[in-house]
Amino acid sequence: MNAYLSALLLLSVPGLPLLLAFPALRSRLPRPCHLALLPAVILLAVPAAFSIEVPWLLFGSGLGIDAASRWLLAMSVVLWAVAATLLQAPSGQAVDKRLTVFFLLTMATHLGAILATDLVGFFAFAALLGYGFYGLLVAAGDETARRAGRVYLVFMVVADLVLFEALLIAAATTGDLHFEAAHHALALSQEGAPASLWYVSMVLVGFALKVGIWPLHFWLPLAFRAARPAVALLLGGVPVAIALLGIVRFLPLGEITLPDLGAGIQWLGLTAAIYGTVVGLMQSHPRTLLAYATMVVTSLFITLLGSGLEWPLLGAALQGTAPLFIMTLGFTVAALVAGSMLADKVTTQSALLVTARRVGVLLLALSPLMTVILTRPSGGGERLFAESGLVALWPWWMLCTVLLAFRWLYLLLRRQGETMSAPASMIPPGDFWPILERWFSQSNHWFMSMGLQLLPRWRSSGLAAAGRLLQVRVWQKALDAGERALQGWSLAVALLLLLGLAIALLSA
Amino acid sequence: MTWDSSLLLLILATSLVPGLVIFFLPEERVSLRTTLNMAGAVVKLVLVGVMIWGVFHGQQYETRLPLLPGGLDLVLHADAESVLFVTLSTVLWLVTTVYAIGYLEGSHHRSRFFGFFSLCVTATVGVALAGNLITFLLFYELLTLSTYPLIVHRETEEARQAGRIYLRYTIAGGAVLLVGTVWLYDVAGSFDFTHRGVLAGLDDADRAALTAIFVLLIAGLGVKAALIPLHGWLPRAMVAPAPVSALLHAVAVVKAGAFGIVRVVNDVYGVEFAASLGVTGPLAVLAAATIIYGSLRALFQDSLKRRLAYSTVSQVSYIVLGIAIVGPIATIGGLVHLVHQGVMKITLFFCAGNLAETLGVHNISDMNGVGKRMPWTMAAFTIGALGMIGVPPLAGFITKWYLGLGALDAGQDWVILVLAGSSLLNAAYFLPILYVAWFKAPPDAWPAERYWGRRETAWALLAPPAVTALLTLAVGLLASAPFSPLQWARFITTQEYAP
Repeated sequence: MNAYLSALLLLSVPGLPLLLAFPALRSRLPRPCHLALLPAVILLAVPAAFSIEVPWLLFGSGLGIDAASRWLLAMSVVLWAVAATLLQAPSGQAVDKRLTVFFLLTMATHLGAILATDLVGFFAFAALLGYGFYGLLVAAGDETARRAGRVYLVFMVVADLVLFEALLIAAATTGDLHFEAAHHALALSQEGAPASLWYVSMVLVGFALKVGIWPLHFWLPLAFRAARPAVALLLGGVPVAIALLGIVRFLPLGEITLPDLGAGIQWLGLTAAIYGTVVGLMQSHPRTLLAYATMVVTSLFITLLGSGLEWPLLGAALQGTAPLFIMTLGFTVAALVAGSMLADKVTTQSALLVTARRVGVLLLALSPLMTVILTRPSGGGERLFAESGLVALWPWWMLCTVLLAFRWLYLLLRRQGETMSAPASMIPPGDFWPILERWFSQSNHWFMSMGLQLLPRWRSSGLAAAGRLLQVRVWQKALDAGERALQGWSLAVALLLLLGLAIALLSA
Repeated sequence: MTWDSSLLLLILATSLVPGLVIFFLPEERVSLRTTLNMAGAVVKLVLVGVMIWGVFHGQQYETRLPLLPGGLDLVLHADAESVLFVTLSTVLWLVTTVYAIGYLEGSHHRSRFFGFFSLCVTATVGVALAGNLITFLLFYELLTLSTYPLIVHRETEEARQAGRIYLRYTIAGGAVLLVGTVWLYDVAGSFDFTHRGVLAGLDDADRAALTAIFVLLIAGLGVKAALIPLHGWLPRAMVAPAPVSALLHAVAVVKAGAFGIVRVVNDVYGVEFAASLGVTGPLAVLAAATIIYGSLRALFQDSLKRRLAYSTVSQVSYIVLGIAIVGPIATIGGLVHLVHQGVMKITLFFCAGNLAETLGVHNISDMNGVGKRMPWTMAAFTIGALGMIGVPPLAGFITKWYLGLGALDAGQDWVILVLAGSSLLNAAYFLPILYVAWFKAPPDAWPAERYWGRRETAWALLAPPAVTALLTLAVGLLASAPFSPLQWARFITTQEYAP
């Protein structure tokens, strides 16, 4: 394909939605949110795999399409097109302008992340996606949406910081941050280098925050519950999917062996599945239950990832099959959210939604089986795969997903016809400290009533005192007092000179 | 006098001459004053462009004028470092001039304001082009004197008090710097800035004396660079009009301090000699403490300009930190932040000025829904704020990348924690502003709203933040393009660390 055409096509996939985010550029266009997907559709129609390098972009970045990104791009086009259709208010009234802006910005960053061919480019798109999705959650939303947005944003900011540190480690290891070159360099540096373990750990923590993996999942139930249907529909296929893709893109799977960490991650996956099932079954709102169902499905991926870190053969296989898993997850969540709309009564297209509900239930219930089939390695590693935790336990996993699917269906049918009540948060509004304090206090009480002294004698009052220290006003007063003292230049200059002269004397 | 020796004088004259003429213009000669201001800024930009091209191709530009008997010369010299700072001040001066013309429309004492404004830029360019420490000191003091009338321009009691504090701090800092400079001359016998440092060859020098001189120089420069505990004047000076705040925080004053520290470490002591003397470690710790302290203070401010002022205290120390880490990669981070902090911070101050001038909004608690009323201003503010946090692909991300990578390269891993903590704090004090501006409902009426027809505000107020916001995006996104600030910082570092 002609180099200029390739560049134009690849750059326009994130570029057109970005341009259309400007109100002046889209105001006269019909269906701009659908139109923004046009370059992506054309790109999907081009059968070849190709990429471009843009040396002046950031530290030298690239965009490209290969078999893996093609699957994800296809899923994204479908999901964004459906979401764009649902974004229109049912009564035909105009959509909030900010919502459209954030919709197009998030679309641009999402498509860009899928096509990125290097770590920095992927990170940049993924970070911007977080801010865009925050806007989608919060724009034109109520207090519940704003709260969900705040929690989501805190998680994303922390995740970006952790991933930034991981990127620095990668850049300190190798000058070439394109996926394959970076994987190779990181794998070579593994032996005897603690940096590699740090890198893998930070990548896992960073993306775990973005995926919403237990125990870093708090934003997920809030977002599922608070988001408008068109946005909730994207949760599985956009932020969660990009974070799962990030794990595969960042980690040199198949080239490193970290057996202890791998085993630990498999246990984490198993725990997440149990936690997600138990807590999910206790939910009374179908959308909140979907968050826990998502957690259970992603736990399948986490377990596979653990196996991949333990056995490089499985890791290499996961690199190739992960996009299929991510695509299935995206469609599953989207179908279930669309099905939930029957209870939300936000649209009249009931025939389509009934179909979506059926498909969603099937996809959720069968997701462990599908995962085993889709991610089965070929050309080596079949025996290891058969012995891995996921394959050994998949019927149990399926029991979890089937139970969740039935519970969701039950909740949905029960709510259908009911007037939708005002949604309540999973975590009641208020400070984090009182919640933690209450939790410690109750744990203490419970252990003591059992006659056990497993926990040290934590006094909730002590925790409250620690919490008070973290309150803004105490520090504000202290800092203000110091600032007032420093308003006198003589004290300030004298302080610095004394400090400097002390250093001079010490170093002499 | 040849072209090579007169170019630097011409660059100085393009702001000095209009400034001196403007002083004598009557208030009502608005068109002539505007023409002089704009012509000076544009001609300076062209001349600086010629200088950049020449320096990149190895051309030497130097002007040496006798100052005092005994070989004490006033030296102007263009090297890669000075080009970086001159370009920043020249580009931002042009933008700030447009903004100031719009901002001060109809206000009193405009000739006085623009006269000192031009003098201030002359002094800044002089600081950047100084070829030795004594020339640097002269322009540094001129900067102090020309900035003071701008700070007290409003002539309120609060402004006068802020001006007094500023003057006390900066004159005391200048005196300390003078003592350090004289003592340095006594030890080294030279004031000149040289690659690898004028002191680098002095093996038999008194190390304690050199350390003490370093402390004096840093204390003198640290006042303008707002290193703690010498930062007290900066948050008070935010009472000045918005274009002055932009000058103080992004173009001239704090940058002159930070640039001075770069000069002292790189071209007086030399990075390797400074490191061997053991002074760079404490300097890095001081910069790190300033970064965290400034961010913590910013977190508690409700006044928008005050929050931005504390943010400057924090952000300018990234420059010092980059130099003090000692290593080529971190030095790139520090130098490039000289430009990046400038374009980001000036955007934020322009926007703060727009909110104050158009709506009478000064406090963050009054900013609910302001994004709906002034979307372009707040879009520019959003880009500036996200850049400060370090969100890719904006300017701040490039800085933090090089600082972090440089810290790892130099084996100073603790800096990573400082960067992470600072980014977290930046997010904590900038994101709530964006939240209230974009997602909260606007009030029924603004404190003091002015109307500009269909536009959200005057063109002269809207265009400058839009341009600098675009620059914030461009210098990050196109970081590896030829002649980008990053490439220029790499060019400087290659010379500084060449074997």
